[in-house]
Amino acid sequence: MPTRSLDRLRSELEVTARPAVPLPGAGPAIAVVFLGSERPEPLASLIRDYVGPLTSAGHAVECIVAVEPWLRGWAADLGAAAEAGVPIRVLVGAYSMGETGLLRMALPYCHAPALLIMSAYHRVESDAIPALVDALRDADLVAARRWPRKDSWISRLQGRLFHGLVARLTGSRFHDLGCGVRVVRRSLLQELPLYGDYYRFLPVLAARDGFVVREKDCSQHPGDARTRVYRPGTYLRRALDLLGLFFLVRFTQRPLRFFGLVGSLLALGGAIVLAVMGFQRIGGQGIADRPLLLVGVLLLVLGVQAIALGLVGEIIVHLHATRQRHYRLADSAGAHRSE
Amino acid sequence: MTESPEISVIVPVMDEEPNIPLLVEAVRLALEGGPEWELLFVDDGSGDGTVAAIIAQRIADPRIRLVQLARNYGQTTGMQAGFDHSRGSVVVTMDGDLQNDPADIPVLIAKLGEGYDLVAGYRLKRQDAWLRRKLPSWVANRMIRWITGVDIRDNGCSLKAYRRELVDRLSLYSDLHRFIPAVAAATAGARIAEVPVRHHARLHGQSKYGLSRIAKVLADLLTIKMIRSFRERPLMLFGSMAFVAALFGLLFAGASVVSMTTFRLHKAEALVLPTAACVWFALTWYLMLLGLIAETALREARLADPEPGPLAQRA
Repeated sequence: MPTRSLDRLRSELEVTARPAVPLPGAGPAIAVVFLGSERPEPLASLIRDYVGPLTSAGHAVECIVAVEPWLRGWAADLGAAAEAGVPIRVLVGAYSMGETGLLRMALPYCHAPALLIMSAYHRVESDAIPALVDALRDADLVAARRWPRKDSWISRLQGRLFHGLVARLTGSRFHDLGCGVRVVRRSLLQELPLYGDYYRFLPVLAARDGFVVREKDCSQHPGDARTRVYRPGTYLRRALDLLGLFFLVRFTQRPLRFFGLVGSLLALGGAIVLAVMGFQRIGGQGIADRPLLLVGVLLLVLGVQAIALGLVGEIIVHLHATRQRHYRLADSAGAHRSE
Repeated sequence: MTESPEISVIVPVMDEEPNIPLLVEAVRLALEGGPEWELLFVDDGSGDGTVAAIIAQRIADPRIRLVQLARNYGQTTGMQAGFDHSRGSVVVTMDGDLQNDPADIPVLIAKLGEGYDLVAGYRLKRQDAWLRRKLPSWVANRMIRWITGVDIRDNGCSLKAYRRELVDRLSLYSDLHRFIPAVAAATAGARIAEVPVRHHARLHGQSKYGLSRIAKVLADLLTIKMIRSFRERPLMLFGSMAFVAALFGLLFAGASVVSMTTFRLHKAEALVLPTAACVWFALTWYLMLLGLIAETALREARLADPEPGPLAQRA
């Protein structure tokens, strides 16, 4: 769970109601952020399809295009932006950083209080965008869910398995974390520490931290419908992401419970093996030439190692506890500490 | 209300709507006529009308305050949020289910005036089921006392009074609310006393705890022991563990030597025993390195944020 400084919490007490998305005419209301890290489609069509409906609805829009270094040439096609009449800024990463890194790079350049974030290709139909933005009025984050799906049954089965696992491990039920189309308040992104590949799991992390998160159905773009079969490395990365997410959500404040459980099971296994062999030795049976003795010792040692790692984790959590608070306030009535 | 009251009563609540008016009235009766006080409710993600009930009370009496958490975080976080936003020089915590009696608050505060930093209530004649609540509580308290060395007979009683100086030194996380006296003694050198308090059966609502908490208590005890004994010298903890691992390594190494010199040596013996000794020595090395990492983390944390020192004992 993300941590928050005490000073920030106290300053939050001044806020008693969530600000609405600013009305048209009050500066940029929405920053449309395109994250270009894979299979980009022509920028002109993206701007026309996703920025156009917002400007037509009267929103003041700014456009940020954040791209990996190898997409520098792709992002240079700014004619459509000029045509749409929206301010646009292109940011090129110094190194390959993935969507999470691109978003972190783009955030300081967004002036609007709300961001519409998407990959550099069509995932949802553009006519769903205004409703998605409007849904932010009573939420901190609105995640698009491609529904109904037009993908193959293999893709849908994979998706169901993945989201079932996420729900099981984190307790948060979302249906389409793979769809990166999200409308989010800038303040949320400033509070949640994003790193690694956790942009994918932003709704889970935000909900876990007490933000109001909604999922909204959006028609899937025909170009996005395909059979998604990835390389083995991708599945391995997703599995590791899930493990990391599981630990972050459940054990960040109590690492010893995780490492202690793993370590205790290993150590218990080792202790049982060694105890049995000990009794056999007392009964006159030789044990020094049996590899099982080594297995018992290894299990015990691994268990101690895991528990020791958990203790280091607890020390680190304890040392930082004085500076951090792990809660968010929804609202406060009269909760002002007088100075 | 801008003046700081002398007494802050903190009550973390979750789904306690029917109890709110009764609790407010009971606190008012107990504290009226004494020093200025405030009653700070911390709503921990209630799904019923608890927040509305508190706001209704606040409209009638501005001494009632509310801190509303964004979701359900648990009692420890609720209590810490209450500490963070309370203003009194004396802070009292209690449950919101009316099992604690606010009439005991003046008794706790009077005891605090004798020079203690924390006064913990212990429940006389508990009105709980023996098998589900009293027995696990008795076992847990015994273990907490034995492992932490802090002689408190009822860690589960939320009715406690604290000095502000102590509250400002406490940082609760995970499920540490069960061990506040031990944490206070370990991290702030608090002087702790106990007084008997009344206990009533729950009038409304459901208990949020069950037998499942025992496993968590056991896991947290190890953490508390570590905090109490080694928070200022983690290398001692890991060094001690490494010493034990080294002893096992020596044992196996000795067995290897005896096997080689005394008995007729088989290939498997030549492999198993020395390898086992090496594994133990590797663990020794690993634990020492972990200890050094922990020392580094401690130093870096202290450099980044020098925490206030322990409380001085009053002469």
